[in-house]
Amino acid sequence: MSQLSEEERQKIINSSPIGTWVLMLTVSLGMVAAWLFLYYGVFLPRGAIG
Amino acid sequence: MNTDPLKKKWANAIQSIADLSKGDPIHVDPLEKRWAYVILAIAGLFVAIIMIDALVHNINPPSHVETIDSARLHLSKEFAEDNLGVQVDDNGNVTVRIVAGRYGFYPKQVTVPSGTPLKFRWVSMDVLHGIHLPMTNMNTMILPGYVAELKTDFPKPGNYPLLCNEYCGMGHDHMWGSITVVAKEHWSAPVKIASKGDSNHE
Repeated sequence: MSQLSEEERQKIINSSPIGTWVLMLTVSLGMVAAWLFLYYGVFLPRGAIG
Repeated sequence: MNTDPLKKKWANAIQSIADLSKGDPIHVDPLEKRWAYVILAIAGLFVAIIMIDALVHNINPPSHVETIDSARLHLSKEFAEDNLGVQVDDNGNVTVRIVAGRYGFYPKQVTVPSGTPLKFRWVSMDVLHGIHLPMTNMNTMILPGYVAELKTDFPKPGNYPLLCNEYCGMGHDHMWGSITVVAKEHWSAPVKIASKGDSNHE
């Protein structure tokens, strides 16, 4: 059962969702880094196809 | 049977669609909207990189279309037995011609230089085949009746197995060859040997 007061609850609800931002940033950077690694670190060094 | 709830449900659904077409705003959570923008930006970045490489560096999927009579390859000038394998023209361009068929690649082994632009021309003498060189980007289908042409280079010397990756019959698992990549300075163009006898490939 939540021990938060109504005031604390409202404060959390109205504040910026830091945890979500961190999660979004982590996932985004991870995905971009993985894609760039596969493209520039694996695909192109194996010899581009044309 | 009481159909009123069903009618009401359908009426609500139709009303919702009608509301959408009127341009009524749909509520989207701001956080969700920002996440969508991030995803769009990432997708845009990937597409931009691919487009720059395609337009500036000419890195594209092979799109060569050329037909050939698969039943008369041995009579064609280009894919006659004497012309298969690695050839270097007067300008130094290296071309590799390989015929796939009857559960084998002909020639079964070729040696090419590393770090050199190579043009591969593949044809099938019978059914659909495919090629795959693990640890390289070489991978294409060889359709009977067409020349599969692709250009690439192998930056790293080594012995690469050449595998058929399209099921072509009972002997498919025995269909393999190899491509040996040697350092550019250790590679010499194969000497063309005059064919024996009075073969007529014309």
